Amino acid sequence: MKLKLSAAALGLSLFMGLAANATHAASPDDAIKARLACMKSHGAVLKLGAPMVKGEKPFDAAALKAAYDAEDKACADWANMWGADTQKGDKAKTDALPEVWSNAKGFADAQAALVAATPKLRAAADAKGFKAALPAFVGACKACHEKFRRPDG
Amino acid sequence: MPKFKTIVKALVPLAVLGLAGFWVLTIPHPLTADQLPKHTADVTNGEKLFHASGCHSCHLPSKDSGLDEASVAGGAPLKTPIGTLYPPNLTPDPETGIGKWSDVDFVNAMQKGIGKDGEHLIPAFPYTSYAHMSTEDVLDIKAYLATLPAVKNAVPQHEVTALPLIRRGLGLWKYVGLKDAKFVNDPAQSASWNRGAYLVNGAGHCAECHTPRTFYMASDDAKFLGGGPHPDGQGKVPSLRDLVGRGKYKDAADLVSAFQDGEAMGYEHLSSGGMGAVQSNLSKLPVEDLNAIAEYLLSLK
Repeated sequence: MKLKLSAAALGLSLFMGLAANATHAASPDDAIKARLACMKSHGAVLKLGAPMVKGEKPFDAAALKAAYDAEDKACADWANMWGADTQKGDKAKTDALPEVWSNAKGFADAQAALVAATPKLRAAADAKGFKAALPAFVGACKACHEKFRRPDG
Repeated sequence: MPKFKTIVKALVPLAVLGLAGFWVLTIPHPLTADQLPKHTADVTNGEKLFHASGCHSCHLPSKDSGLDEASVAGGAPLKTPIGTLYPPNLTPDPETGIGKWSDVDFVNAMQKGIGKDGEHLIPAFPYTSYAHMSTEDVLDIKAYLATLPAVKNAVPQHEVTALPLIRRGLGLWKYVGLKDAKFVNDPAQSASWNRGAYLVNGAGHCAECHTPRTFYMASDDAKFLGGGPHPDGQGKVPSLRDLVGRGKYKDAADLVSAFQDGEAMGYEHLSSGGMGAVQSNLSKLPVEDLNAIAEYLLSLK
């Protein structure tokens, strides 16, 4: 149940992101930092899960659960992290490409793919299940980064 | 002081001479069939080199074509500074693909940058790197392409202003931009290092983006694989030198894992700027080849 709720919360925050693009209280720098923290929280799940998938570490449901909670917390305000004034930060650096805003539908669809892949990954009870659910989740990361993230130098 | 008309009259022969010189200097020089080595094609090797060469990354069909995205039916628009290109159909379809191409047609395209009709090819197609491959490997790729299902897909014309003139002008550019020397093993290095160097500099065409370009748009060899501006105009292409020293990867095994798994194992920078497709291709290579690539790359300080 909790699982469904958090997935719903992610979905809802995405929906609100579409509906209420303009409402954001934080400064552009804060928004950029917040979305970086959200992205990093996704990365933390992968960094934690990778050795488990490879068999280098035992499957640790509790550790993963903590990482999922951190994800939910870091990404809760997703809807307010992408205001039009956050294309460039003052001090904070962003790798977001202008396409995030010029192709808002494509960006929302890419994010929806991640939200859709989340429940299965979180439902995994062992390394095998985690491994099976991983491609859809990671595929969503990759597909979005391919289109909407600036290459790094 | 000579009159204006006299000056013009004097300039006309000069211009004619100039044009004639341009014409002569830009004549394409394709290979002829008798210059090819005798070779029995190895389709399995061809498939490997097909992935190493990243053919699919550019020669895929456009999203709205309704064609199988895994095919190399061509036509997906490729935005470049000179205009939008539509990479051709590489399937064996005789009308819209390369079904009617001879071996020497294929080698000329891959290694001389000369198309079937004798025209200079736009170097968005990285023949400048493929030129370093062995001709046998190139022929193996052709043999592998011939095993793929034929897809009928006539791709649009490139959207480039003054395309015939640009094509002709590429004949001049090739004097600085195309160094068609075959890869030579360095006897001081291991077989694996040499294999890696061969794959990186030939089929892999890493330098096309990871080495910056000179004023003449030729590879700036002094800054070999040192990174540079992204060809799309957004952001930078990272340097491939000193990857361990710069803290990008722990060791060769870490780099190989990045090639195989990319984002799946948290290597999140391997998706942006076109590397997502490159990583997908790399993940299809045998691990010995990936080890070789890692050994070679990590030797670059």
